[in-house]
Amino acid sequence: MTKEISLEHVWVEFGEFTAVHKANLNIAGGEFFSFLGPSGCGKTTLLRCISGFQEPTRGKVKIGGQDMRGVGPNKRPTALIFQNLALFPLRSVADNIAFPLEVRGVDKKTRRKRADELLELIALPGQGDKKVSELSGGQKQRVAIARALAVEPDILLLDEPLSALDLKLRQHMRTELRAIQKQVGLTFIYITHDQGEALTMSDRIAVMNKGKIEQIGDGKAIYDHPTTSFVASFVGENNVLDGTVLSNDGKVMKIDAGLGTPFTVENHPAGGPALAPGDACHLFVRPEALRLSKDDGAINQFETNFITEEFEGNMRHIVMNASGTDLKLSLINDGTNAIDANTPVKLDFAPEMGIALKPGELASA
Amino acid sequence: MRDLFYDLVRRNGMAVSIYLMLAVSLWVFILIILPQLTMLDYSFRFNLPPAKIGGPEDVYTLEQYRYFFQGSGASDGLNTLDIGILFKTLLAAVFVTVFDLIICYPVAFVLAKSSTGAKARLLVLALIVPYWINEILRAFAFRILFGATGVINETGMGLGLWDTPIDFIRQDVALYAGLAYAYILLMIFPLYNAIESLDRNQIEAARDMGANWWQVHAKVVIPYAKPGIASGMTMVFMLTSGALAAPQILGGPSNLWFTQLVYQWFNSGGNWPRGSAYAMVLLIVCIALVLLVMRLFKVSIGEIKQ
Amino acid sequence: MRMKSPTALIPGLYLTLFFAYLFGPLIIMVITAFNSSTFPRVSPWECFTTDWFGKLASDDKLLSGLGNSLLIGVGVVCVAIPIGLAAAITLSQVGPKLRAALYTIFIAPILVPGVVIGLSTLIFWDRIGTLFNAPYESFFYDGTFLTIFGQVTFIAAYSMLVFLSRIQRFDTTLTEAALDMGATPTQAFVKVLLPFMAPAIGSATVLAFLASLENYNTTVFTIVSSSTFTTVLSSKVRYGLDPSISAVAVIIIAITLIGAIIYECRNRYYTKGWAHVIAERPALKIATHPGTVAVILGVLTLAAVLFIQNHDSSVCTAQVLEEKRALQQQLMEQQSINTPQQAVPAPTMPNLGPLGGDEGGASAPSPFGNNIFSPENLGTSAREGN
Ligand SMILES: Nc1ncnc2c1ncn2[C@@H]1O[C@H](COP(=O)(O)OP(=O)(O)O)[C@@H](O)[C@H]1O
Ligand SMILES: [Mg+2]
Repeated sequence: MTKEISLEHVWVEFGEFTAVHKANLNIAGGEFFSFLGPSGCGKTTLLRCISGFQEPTRGKVKIGGQDMRGVGPNKRPTALIFQNLALFPLRSVADNIAFPLEVRGVDKKTRRKRADELLELIALPGQGDKKVSELSGGQKQRVAIARALAVEPDILLLDEPLSALDLKLRQHMRTELRAIQKQVGLTFIYITHDQGEALTMSDRIAVMNKGKIEQIGDGKAIYDHPTTSFVASFVGENNVLDGTVLSNDGKVMKIDAGLGTPFTVENHPAGGPALAPGDACHLFVRPEALRLSKDDGAINQFETNFITEEFEGNMRHIVMNASGTDLKLSLINDGTNAIDANTPVKLDFAPEMGIALKPGELASA
Repeated sequence: MRDLFYDLVRRNGMAVSIYLMLAVSLWVFILIILPQLTMLDYSFRFNLPPAKIGGPEDVYTLEQYRYFFQGSGASDGLNTLDIGILFKTLLAAVFVTVFDLIICYPVAFVLAKSSTGAKARLLVLALIVPYWINEILRAFAFRILFGATGVINETGMGLGLWDTPIDFIRQDVALYAGLAYAYILLMIFPLYNAIESLDRNQIEAARDMGANWWQVHAKVVIPYAKPGIASGMTMVFMLTSGALAAPQILGGPSNLWFTQLVYQWFNSGGNWPRGSAYAMVLLIVCIALVLLVMRLFKVSIGEIKQ
Repeated sequence: MRMKSPTALIPGLYLTLFFAYLFGPLIIMVITAFNSSTFPRVSPWECFTTDWFGKLASDDKLLSGLGNSLLIGVGVVCVAIPIGLAAAITLSQVGPKLRAALYTIFIAPILVPGVVIGLSTLIFWDRIGTLFNAPYESFFYDGTFLTIFGQVTFIAAYSMLVFLSRIQRFDTTLTEAALDMGATPTQAFVKVLLPFMAPAIGSATVLAFLASLENYNTTVFTIVSSSTFTTVLSSKVRYGLDPSISAVAVIIIAITLIGAIIYECRNRYYTKGWAHVIAERPALKIATHPGTVAVILGVLTLAAVLFIQNHDSSVCTAQVLEEKRALQQQLMEQQSINTPQQAVPAPTMPNLGPLGGDEGGASAPSPFGNNIFSPENLGTSAREGN
């Protein structure tokens, strides 16, 4: 059984400091939902509101339609996987996994049987009698998941569970987590500051900054159609140009970015507040959207100079300069993209690949 | 208070919270605060036979404190004897404290910075072991050591340093040596803990920049270890000035320690209010002295640890 | 090989001197326990004897004091440990301001002179007793109860410090994890926090028990008409030095050393490196097991006890006594010859010292001559010599 969660105007304030600013969202049962944001933006605080360690100062947390105010963490149908895992160091692996059953008064034999089943599920069969300290990082990770599953929760909350692992293992665990979620069919709420994790695993993502939810959507929407400057600059690589809106007919905008001919950019329906002629704006173009112009007079064409190149095998990451602004450019290494370092190079991009947004805070690199 | 209890219950549950609150309040009120207040109250009363306590004669008075300052005479002469004993006690305690600091600092430093692993643990154990031995016995050992036919006198006379036994007891040498011995551990451990957490690189950096060993200690180690020094000195000073066993065993017959006065008013003197007043005087003077010194060295009580 | 520079030797030399200061007095005291001289001393050496231990075994006062001390120690542990634990947990859970205030109150009993604590405890319970019109046999006036209360006042603070240093390393997310897993707050306390604190509870118990056993300053007030091991010892020391006190020290030092050795063996045995060494060598594993060490020490102790019970130094002491008698005879003769001169020849004094009783200490500043020449005194020491 899975339950839907809704946050209704949730605020969390620590004295003067606002850690969560009017969070408003619904998470469907069985969904893999991620909160993505830089460290310190209030993700953990929000998760603690759901798990019951933190009461919102204002607003409501509802699980399965029921208001959770005053319901302690031990009475909520959630299980939390802590950032540091919080495995009990003095208990064996099996005793860790069986802890939720132990406190519910389940007898020893049943506990052990259930722990063994869960060890099977996380691919650590027969390791129940080991000490926690004898496990590797990835194994600890899986034990923490098994322990949370032993609670038989409706919702599993995961607070940056992979951040302590090395890169290889992290990538492996992504797939594994997603597989476990599919298998058990629970709602997963996943916190991370790593966009790669969020994009690969999630059904939907909420991007947060300074306590505010900036955008909610699936990975594609967030990457292709960010609605704020923060999201555009935080998720994936992006080039940003300062510009002024010349005209906006609802479908296409003309934008002057000081690079010769004004640019033509499509106006996406979910693109945030509409921009009117005369407004200042940020124009975002992703490195992979920029291309070497094949012929003169193409749309959105401008002149640049070569700065440096970083060679990655299949990809070439090139930095070009356009009238004082550095631009990143990613090209596939297919032998067709020769650049002469000593002569100006013309670049262009398709109108649907440029995104004009109201100027706002940019994520620091 | 209600908020505090609510918070504890939320974290620990009802049963555990009640235990916590009960245990702490029992300790703070029944064992610490109320007895001290009762003693304070008692020190402002006359020494009455039990039957008259609570009667019309049982009124507040400054008599016991007046006695400490002026003695039995109704005249306004000073009670030089008791005041003198207080001063002598404090002075001796300061002396013992400083002596302990001087002898313990090098040990703590060597222990903290040059010993590692099993060797350090063994040295620490060797420091602790003598302190599992009864305080009385430690004083007794010094009595033997410094007696007229004790090892010190025998050795001194054997080497021809002096030719008649020196009465170390009457000279209070035995007492100071015994007191300094008694609280060494309480000086070493705060020092050791403080110095141990000092990054070795800081010392090496100072050396590198041309500081000699004296400057390294004066400019780097000692300022860093200040909280440790303060808590060690506070402990040793308070315990020395409040010591009773060592002065009783090692003190010369005519040289009293201030705690012995308190003891006398209580036991042989049978005057509890006066004993209380003397105890209050000791307590207040000691605390005032410690706070004053802490203020001078800019450290807070919260930094005191064992 | 390179010579160490002389300055590099200074720390070692200093440490040696320091530990000599630390252990010297104790070693000398231990030696005096085996000298048959009735005054605790190293020289002149009379006879090796174990009789002072025998004298202890028949010292009813000391034994009953010891009984009281053990009872009080158990009482103190039972009260002080829960209080210290509660105080440490409370400190770890309150905000920084309240924490600082509470810490100052909690730490105060360590700094307040023991005399003051003893006094205030005595007065406080006396007042309460009077308030309830309690009879004199009630616990308000009972030395054992008062001493437990008085000692707990500051021993709870010691144990709090032990708990505090452990609880600072506690990861509070463990408690949160337990709650999240459905444990009630009480279950989280019992199943997560308490097991984590268990080692500290062990060491705090030992510390509290020892602190209680050795306390004097507070106890001497609160014990009223009863007595403890320490107060009996103190009055023994004050009313006459006697090598049987050294014998007490020997026993305590032996117990301490045995404890320390077993503790250290245990530590070494459970280190990772050693586990590696003994993994393949069962004989070594058994030989270095702390249990084995304890058994060996136990056997040695038993042997020592048997030796003490059976050692007979009466022949030697009788001989020494005879020599003294002869010397005394000689002196008396000299005295009768040299009349009317003073009889006490200073240079021979140290040799006669053994029977000198107290040495001009606080309690009985006796002129040398008197009891040296008293026949009763000789008689007593002869009897004790058996
Ligand atoms: N109990 C608290 N008291 C005061 N400030 C807090 C508390 N918990 C978190 N904060 C603050 O709230 C902000 C968000 O914290 P957190 O939710 O842990 O961020 P994230 O998990 O996104 O890194 C941080 O600036 C943090 O300092
Ligand atoms: Mg976080």
